[in-house]
Amino acid sequence: MTNSLRNTELSLLILVSVVIAGAYALASLATDAELPPNLVPFLGVIFGLLMLAHVALRRLAPLAEPLLLPLAGLLNGLGYVFIARLDRDLAGLQAVWTMVGIGAFVTTLLVVRSARVLERYRYTFMVIGIGLLVLPLAPGLGETINGARIWVSLGPMNFQPGEFAKVALAIFFAGYLIDKRELLAMSTRRLGPLHFPEPQHLGPVLVAWSASVLVMVAEKDLGSSLLFFALFVSMLWIATERASYLLVSVVLFFGGATLAWTQFTHVQERVDTWLDPWADPTDTGYQVIQASFSLANGGLTGTGPGLGRPDVIPLAETDFIFAAIGEELGLFGSTAILMTFLLMIGAGLRIALRADQPFEKLLAAGITTLLGVQAFIIVAGVIRVLPLTGVTLPFVSYGGSSLVANYILLALLLRVSHDSTARQLENHRAGAPRRGRATAGAVS
Amino acid sequence: MNDQIRKVGLALLVCFVALFAQLNWLQLFGADRLEANPNNTRAIIRDFGRDRGIIATADGVIVARSVEVEDNELGRERQYPEGDLYAHITGAQTFNFGATGVEAVYNDLLAGQTDQQKYGDLGALLGGQDPTGNLQLTVRDDVQRVAREALGDRNGSVVVLDPRDGSMIAMWSFPSYDPNLVSTIDLDAATEAWDELRAQDPTAPDLPKAYRQTFPPGSTFKVVTGSAGLASGVATPTDPVFAASSGYTPPLTTSTIANFGGSTCGGDLAQALRVSCNTAFAELGAEYLGPELMIGQAQAFGFDEPPPIDLPVPVASHFPTDFGAVLSPSTENPDVSIVENTPGLAQASIGQNDVTSTPLQMALVAAAVANGGVIMKPHVMDEIRNRDGELVDEYEPTVWKVALRRGDADTMQRLMIDVATSGTATGLQIPGFTVGGKTGTAQTFADTDDTHAWIIGFAGPPGEPATVAVAVIVEAEPGQGQITGGTVAAPIAQQVLAAALQPLEGVSAIEGEGEEQGG
Repeated sequence: MTNSLRNTELSLLILVSVVIAGAYALASLATDAELPPNLVPFLGVIFGLLMLAHVALRRLAPLAEPLLLPLAGLLNGLGYVFIARLDRDLAGLQAVWTMVGIGAFVTTLLVVRSARVLERYRYTFMVIGIGLLVLPLAPGLGETINGARIWVSLGPMNFQPGEFAKVALAIFFAGYLIDKRELLAMSTRRLGPLHFPEPQHLGPVLVAWSASVLVMVAEKDLGSSLLFFALFVSMLWIATERASYLLVSVVLFFGGATLAWTQFTHVQERVDTWLDPWADPTDTGYQVIQASFSLANGGLTGTGPGLGRPDVIPLAETDFIFAAIGEELGLFGSTAILMTFLLMIGAGLRIALRADQPFEKLLAAGITTLLGVQAFIIVAGVIRVLPLTGVTLPFVSYGGSSLVANYILLALLLRVSHDSTARQLENHRAGAPRRGRATAGAVS
Repeated sequence: MNDQIRKVGLALLVCFVALFAQLNWLQLFGADRLEANPNNTRAIIRDFGRDRGIIATADGVIVARSVEVEDNELGRERQYPEGDLYAHITGAQTFNFGATGVEAVYNDLLAGQTDQQKYGDLGALLGGQDPTGNLQLTVRDDVQRVAREALGDRNGSVVVLDPRDGSMIAMWSFPSYDPNLVSTIDLDAATEAWDELRAQDPTAPDLPKAYRQTFPPGSTFKVVTGSAGLASGVATPTDPVFAASSGYTPPLTTSTIANFGGSTCGGDLAQALRVSCNTAFAELGAEYLGPELMIGQAQAFGFDEPPPIDLPVPVASHFPTDFGAVLSPSTENPDVSIVENTPGLAQASIGQNDVTSTPLQMALVAAAVANGGVIMKPHVMDEIRNRDGELVDEYEPTVWKVALRRGDADTMQRLMIDVATSGTATGLQIPGFTVGGKTGTAQTFADTDDTHAWIIGFAGPPGEPATVAVAVIVEAEPGQGQITGGTVAAPIAQQVLAAALQPLEGVSAIEGEGEEQGG
């Protein structure tokens, strides 16, 4: 069984490497009229990096799910091709970040030998998470780029601590909510058909939420704010199985959104632009309108890699990379990206469903939600389904912090996958009369 | 928990389906609307950013070229090295205001966007180069310069073409403008220059008057009236003979048409044309030819229809098509009717009243007479070649109109040569060549003495078909009074004819090196 899972992964990785190298060659043919001189080394590096992750999985988590790594590799590779096509300098950096990301992936698998360990350090992760979140606000450290104060510069390095806060907070939420879920789920008050918990149990939740949202508003990072909120609410709901939390959250969300809309001009601007970008097509509406033109230009089959003009869109290599891909690969390409994310979501949620430990189950569901919601938020912003909120498209956009953080999340997901499969296999081999799920009781 | 996890999955699926639906709208069903949106400058940026072929004159002077610009998202700038000299021919490729002139008409060929160029040029396809087209004009730089020089800073137009194939040899109007001002990639400056031009409408200097503005043609139109007489058999050079007169009063009116300067003239067609006798031609048109023959002949020369020149939106010259109801047979020609507006027809027969013409149209009248009655389609594009010098497109000479039978055309040619030899157009004479012409001094619509000075003509080696036809107008200036074609316009026409009769010098700028060209 071990071999068949990893062999599936290996053949998918080979396929992914060929697809990426093909796209790279096409884009280079279109822009420079020649095959890239470094095509073979390029193919070698891609394949080498993916193989490094693959071998690490064979050694450290052989029973992990076989689809996720190839899917992430595909997104990462396609993203790289488009970054290289838009900006050669960034491409070099992105290549370095990909190596660091794969390194972080392997390191995470090495260090976190069992997902359960993480549960013990949940409050440590809380401190780390909140610390990372507020770090950009620290005077002398934080930097404002493109209107959002979400950067920290350490010497020559700039990074977005918010991306790593995602990892820490997902772990913290999972640990905390599993710990408290019986209290949180206890319903002493009723309002119509809904059961509400004691206010004091809701307290810490509200505090964590409003702290996170306040920080985000202070940093003007609407996308992350929405992302953290969605992450927290879905994890809370999964943990407590109480629909009343969803209702409260929706009310909170709309209350917070209205408040933000009335209080902050940058929020108003985003909403106005979303409702009617044509009101000011050369300034506030420019970016999203250019993205629409880009996608329209691509049509069904796209202009071909390197043959469109996505460079007209501001931030095409980060927030708007989806429009660049849509223009040059067409509706086929943009749909393929969406499908890739859906496959990742499906694989991630299957891991959550199969996990036998509540903490692992919640962690896997949280990580998957994080990836899915983040992809949704940014694509929706680019194609005007939602107001634009600047977040990266996971694995695809240019950005070191994002890429490294997402590879860590991927490693955690695969760790959970391996652990739960391994335990189930063990129980099965042991021929224990108990059903697989019952092992949950034996652990905590 | 599993139940909730499944529902989270379902919610995400719904979200992604919404994205998919919107993508279908943006990329498929709504794409045409987005592409047509006026804010969508992608096509313009595409053609700006891409390489674009040069435009060069027949004698190898580059008049439009694309230059790479560092550190600019547009990538390239279209430049016009000759400034205002070719502005009305090349037009300008602008970022915000579209393109005009040859840049507009041959945009796809210059940018290499025709299917033939995109897919037919395997070398470019594999080499990754844009398969741009270099365009050679029929216009000659030497003649164009003489035209600008000769007209000077007087408002007017000079149109020179080869009557044998319709090639435009020169086309100059004053005032002109510098197309670089609106094609620059300094978009603010371009907008400012553009606004400045538009503030001067309808007489802005970017108006190519040669084919876009009409003027009363005055006595140059007598060539059309005389041709109608010859073509219909109503007149020969020697018959009828008009009585000498200083004023002609058409039927149904008391207002008299006078001769230039109040002189007295008359005689046969040859004599009347030689001295440009108003009374004779007014009577010929009104009472001998009548509305049907006059309208028919004017339209045979191309009036009431835009000439098919390969430049954007040429305007039609105008000859009235309705002179009112038939009243009675003419006393001079029983086949001809006196109509309600016979007085108007009398004036139209000498190029006044509602008759208006572009300089191009009057040049085509001269060309028809010079070319045995046949008007070739006028054109400025000679040929288009790819960067290797291989032919992509070339102009095939095509007949536009047959204005006269050859015999009648040759007769009119003789009469016009007379005019240049011993009539009002002697200023056209060029030693060693056969020259014909007809002057015009046209009253403007304004109630003043100011006149437009016209001349049309042709020239060629003795005993051979004419190789050049010309029309020149020097526009009336308020308060300047009468200026006559013979004294003001003829010297200009004479200079450009003389220049155009010189053999073509210089080499093509678009034929590639090292490529075999069949001659």
